[in-house]
Amino acid sequence: MKLWRFIMAMEFRKILAYRSDFWITFLGQTFIQLLIARALWQDVFEARGESTLNGFTLGTMTLYYLIVPVGSKILTGENVGFISREIYDGTFTRYLIYPLSFLEYKTLTYLTHSLFYGLHLVFIFTVYHLVFDPGALGPAAFSNLFLGVGVYLLAALAYVMMATAIELLALWVENIWSLMVMLRFFVFFFGGSFIPLDFFPAWALGLLQYTPFPYMVNLPAKTIMGLLSPEKILLGAVVLIGWTVAFRVTVSLLWKRGQLGYTGAGV
Amino acid sequence: MIKVTELRKTFTSYVKEPGLLGSLQGLFHRREVTKAALKSIDLEINPGEIVGLIGANGAGKTTLVKILAGIVHPTSGTATVMGFKPWERSNDYRKQMCLIMGQKAQVWWDLPALDSFLLLKEIYQIDDRLYKKNLEFLADTLMIKDQLKTPVRKLSLGERMKVELMAALLHQPRVIFLDEPTIGLDISAQKAVREFLRNYQVEFKPITILTSHYMEDIKELCPRIVIIKEGEFVYDGSLSKVQRLLGDNKVLSVTTGEKTFKVTVPRADLARKTTELFSGNDIQDLNIHDPSIEDIIESIMRTGVSTR
Repeated sequence: MKLWRFIMAMEFRKILAYRSDFWITFLGQTFIQLLIARALWQDVFEARGESTLNGFTLGTMTLYYLIVPVGSKILTGENVGFISREIYDGTFTRYLIYPLSFLEYKTLTYLTHSLFYGLHLVFIFTVYHLVFDPGALGPAAFSNLFLGVGVYLLAALAYVMMATAIELLALWVENIWSLMVMLRFFVFFFGGSFIPLDFFPAWALGLLQYTPFPYMVNLPAKTIMGLLSPEKILLGAVVLIGWTVAFRVTVSLLWKRGQLGYTGAGV
Repeated sequence: MIKVTELRKTFTSYVKEPGLLGSLQGLFHRREVTKAALKSIDLEINPGEIVGLIGANGAGKTTLVKILAGIVHPTSGTATVMGFKPWERSNDYRKQMCLIMGQKAQVWWDLPALDSFLLLKEIYQIDDRLYKKNLEFLADTLMIKDQLKTPVRKLSLGERMKVELMAALLHQPRVIFLDEPTIGLDISAQKAVREFLRNYQVEFKPITILTSHYMEDIKELCPRIVIIKEGEFVYDGSLSKVQRLLGDNKVLSVTTGEKTFKVTVPRADLARKTTELFSGNDIQDLNIHDPSIEDIIESIMRTGVSTR
């Protein structure tokens, strides 16, 4: 556990190493997203002349589109290529030399980024809640927020295992970029990042429940907004853990086989 | 102790014909090429020994080092380092060895070296007292104390190499693999790194394998050398002995109006060869001397004559 703490602390230091990037991410994105989401949906609601759209008010819709982009960052943690890039340039070698599990190390560094964005989400939510829409979400707002961030982190764990399985294919093929782009598209589109799942047809929702995607975006976002019952949240968490275990097994099999062909070459 | 028996490694890669047509063909069919990087290598290195591994680019030096460091699996054969099979990557083995690659950074680029060292302290489970002692010793010897709080990306190449050395040696490894540790460094940085490595070897007596294209590294650090050519050892013995191998030869350094070249000839043929050279060329300068270590090793690498 002490090593885990050190690895995460080290990754936090890396995030804080570039201060202009930090402030742009933390403050710039917060206010830009807030203003765009509010202005855009205000126009849509005014044009439609309705106070709710598929159960969303202007306030909850704005909040949904504030939560989801930062939530996407919680899911995707480090950037695409967090393993494959190091395999291609040969720096991956260090994880084979140091007496530690590369999978453990990579998962922890990834989740540190997720945690950072989780804190960012708390900040955005707080700004929105206190400054723009005080009291709109009721007294349970902050307990829902922390529960939702927890679900997001669980979803990030499932995502990191899925992403690792794909990234490890770099041990066989020369470029996995397109596969990672596809994964992100599936997660964000079928998870409800682009359009809330409430706007999807019933047959599509029926199919999607057998995939991990709705549990990675829709579930945590709706948890934060206080729109889900505890039973649904619990069920979603169990499904996420199930997918995490399944992909963890896949990662182990891929690693066992793939490391035999690793050459340690690089640019 | 390092013991390597009949070690082989074969790499498979794919080639693509040049041009647009080649690229289109590559979408459907790739030509597989197999290259034997190591062809049945045998090697024994005793505790405390430092061995220089010499060879041209692609000769198999780095492949051998990578197998012994546990990065690459061999195709066949066996190797043990202090009783461990390196590619099984047991933590007990990894805690006792290090690999320093002159061309690849292993410390974290965005952070000051001290941050990396603290993480390595935890990874290697170095106790506080030993960590402090080693940190001080390494920083003093490498004269890099003042740069340890600067982000690594802002250090010069020489400073970065020193930081890499520190990071690799903090846990006081018993086996050290050095792959081109002085590559790209200026002369004074090369000297500093060499001096450090020599003192470290005297003080801690690890098993060390050094690969380098700089003969100065080899001459100053390695009493024993192994010359590798196209995946096979063509010489394994002392550095002083290699000089005697071509002791009956002389080197003619010739400068004509167009070029400068060297010719190695048997001592008995010296007069005849010199006459030949003068008759057929516009000789401006001629120097006759004993072959240097560089000449001898280059000759062995070029001709591939087995001297074992």
